[in-house]
Amino acid sequence: MNGTTTVSLVGVGGQGILLAAAILAETASAEGLDVKASEVKGMAQRGGSVLSTVRFGQNVWSPVARHADVVIAMELLEGHRGLGLLVPQGTLVCATTTRIVPGSVLRREEEYPGDLSAAAAARGVRLIAVDAEALAREAGTLRAVNVALLGAASTVLPFAAASWRRGLAAAVPAKILEVNERAFALGRGAVSNEEVGP
Amino acid sequence: MERTLFFSGNEAIAHGAVRAGAVFACGYPGTPSTEILETAARLEGIHAQWCVNEKVALETAVGASLAGRRAIVTMKHVGLNVAADPFMTLSLTGVNGGLVIVSADDPGMHSSQNEQDNRAYAKFAKVPMLEPSDSQEAYDFVAEAFALSEEFDTPVLLRSTTRLSHGRGQVIPRVSVVLEPRDYARDISKYVMVPQYARLRNRLVLERFQKLRARAEESSLNVLEAGTADVGIIAAGVAYTYAREAFPKAWFLKLGMSHPLPSRKVARLFQQVARVAVVEELDPFIEEQVRALGLPVVGKEALPADGELDQDIVFRALEPFLSRRPPRRRRPVFPPAPRLADTPQPAAGLPVRPPVLCPGCTHRSVFTALRRHKLAPMGDIGCYTLGALPPLLALDSCLCMGASIGMMAGFNKALGRKAAAAVIGDSTFFHSGVTPLIDAYYNEADGLVVVLDNRTTAMTGHQGHPGTGLRPDRSQGPTVDIKKLCEGIGVRCHTVDANDFGVLDAAIKAEVDAPGLGVVVALAPCVLMVREKAGEILVDDERCNLCGLCLDLGCPALAPAEGTVSVTDVCTGCGLCIEVCRRGALSYAGASGAGAEGAR
Ligand SMILES: Cc1ncc(C[n+]2csc(CCOP(=O)(O)OP(=O)(O)O)c2C)c(N)n1
Repeated sequence: MNGTTTVSLVGVGGQGILLAAAILAETASAEGLDVKASEVKGMAQRGGSVLSTVRFGQNVWSPVARHADVVIAMELLEGHRGLGLLVPQGTLVCATTTRIVPGSVLRREEEYPGDLSAAAAARGVRLIAVDAEALAREAGTLRAVNVALLGAASTVLPFAAASWRRGLAAAVPAKILEVNERAFALGRGAVSNEEVGP
Repeated sequence: MERTLFFSGNEAIAHGAVRAGAVFACGYPGTPSTEILETAARLEGIHAQWCVNEKVALETAVGASLAGRRAIVTMKHVGLNVAADPFMTLSLTGVNGGLVIVSADDPGMHSSQNEQDNRAYAKFAKVPMLEPSDSQEAYDFVAEAFALSEEFDTPVLLRSTTRLSHGRGQVIPRVSVVLEPRDYARDISKYVMVPQYARLRNRLVLERFQKLRARAEESSLNVLEAGTADVGIIAAGVAYTYAREAFPKAWFLKLGMSHPLPSRKVARLFQQVARVAVVEELDPFIEEQVRALGLPVVGKEALPADGELDQDIVFRALEPFLSRRPPRRRRPVFPPAPRLADTPQPAAGLPVRPPVLCPGCTHRSVFTALRRHKLAPMGDIGCYTLGALPPLLALDSCLCMGASIGMMAGFNKALGRKAAAAVIGDSTFFHSGVTPLIDAYYNEADGLVVVLDNRTTAMTGHQGHPGTGLRPDRSQGPTVDIKKLCEGIGVRCHTVDANDFGVLDAAIKAEVDAPGLGVVVALAPCVLMVREKAGEILVDDERCNLCGLCLDLGCPALAPAEGTVSVTDVCTGCGLCIEVCRRGALSYAGASGAGAEGAR
């Protein structure tokens, strides 16, 4: 509502969603914006879905929102689920090559969903599909999938590169800052201008 | 200017406590309260400790307060039930150094067994209740709470909710509060609550409550905010932020202190606007009090009395009422909301992702061994509660922390035989399992108690407890030996390596068959703390007939494949699947022949 942008980060416990959300929040803060964020992490360590929300704007009241302008999904199934959070004309940035299969699918009680681009198109949502695992590996560690994906998402968020640098430095522990900066840059570079559109 | 900080509500409370001069913090972990104490443990100038349970935590904090220090105690909402006994009487004794009790409520039950609204406790005990709505207020209100506590000689409740505790926002730090030192002075009629003294103190509590009412009227915590529309909203806590966002033009009575209610301020809001609504999560706590003043208000007939609110729910529920043409003054109130019409629909038909026991978790081994016997397993609260879900279905009950042993004892007593077992985690055992074990022994109940000793409080994020001796700053303190403790009570106890299924299974079988009461401590550090893999597991596709015995373990590392099972890369090599396979189709790599002993 009114001038506030909502970004939701979704994935599975252990994927580093909370760190990615912290970087985003620090970045918005570095831009001088009001920021509110919230997360549901009760059972995160036990393989449940995780949702973290960051909202920024001139004056943000509520830390939660049901709908997001941008959804950043660290996993394909969660990307499908994340579609339900997006406003029309919203953007889904998804690590489409990452699949973490839930028990019910392993037991063949349910089916892992298929094509995400078709599902996104059906909703009139823009999809930015990223091979975040490959980017993270290139950066030097698979654990940086979260930050590589955030780098890709940075192309649709209204922040200056300098603010992202400050956000990364504020949220990422010094020991692993360098590899995460690399992953971020690779993610940012991986999204070509045509994909983002005007 | 100091750097603006970006804090969760919990971090803000911890920093706010230090800034307010608190030197003692304690609590018992429980979502969404846990990070308050974890943060305090990292800060200078404050001592932080986990206590065995909330009751003990509160009692410990009272001791610190009595000694003249400011003390803060933290717990989740249900923890206050555990601490209710000391809490209710503490209202009578009052405090020496300020004492703030943080109750972190969980509307929507993200990770709780109920969603009780702990504002009721403020009313019950006649103590003030502060409700911050964002991180800055969480930081600021702690100092307000301590000041109120000392001025009015009362414990003060500070209520957070999940969205405040785990939400984040900017915080501008403030200068530290400077305190006059307080000494302890013996005062038997204040602190010894025998009936004759308690009657006197109770009078003082009633007087104190009238003074608190007057304070609520003047307090800057309760603010009347002017709007441009002809409607008013009364709200507290995070619900205020939802209402502010949904109705930016309304008048607001924002209650930073929601108990006692400032009735004159409420009346003043009614003089300003034609209609008033109360926006609050869970119970109609404020609403009922406003109605009792004879003032017509809209609340729970429009808004849900369960779960969380958000700006959309608030807008949808109240828009028809608040934008109706006002009877007295005629002007349009709200422009139609833009986005609500084309709300996205949730993505349907996708597989759910419930939390599961981790691959390699030895809780699964205990359930597998217990399932071989006819005992009804009474459960408790911890990671192992997940064992009650399909496909394991390994627990018959889960009521509250520490309930398993008492329920087992009652069950067995009622039937006159060993018909139930109890399954309880190590942290929960110390929390409230020792007392019922003593009771079961004294009352000669039969039973088998399995203590799942994974050397940590795993569920809430691996905190220490008396069994591990770990303190919140990860330093090592003295430890309590569960086996010796049980034997000290007089209860038979065996400790077994839960990683060795054969030994575990035999120990459980022996106790099932033995008369009387016995304890088996299934010992194995939480698999999340043990990073190396115990071995590689191979599947012999020829022998596997996909019977499903191993899949019934609900292990995330096992999946059916074409005519066989496959082991995925999350496998820790615990080997439990090898134990349950009847066809010898699973084995450790490098072991000679199927079913051979693997390297552990
Ligand atoms: C009265 C109360 N306080 C706190 C909690 C939060 N809580 C849930 S389980 C648990 C402890 C679990 O530890 P343990 O018994 O060792 O089992 P584990 O998770 O390690 O398997 C806690 C503190 C609660 N549910 N109720």
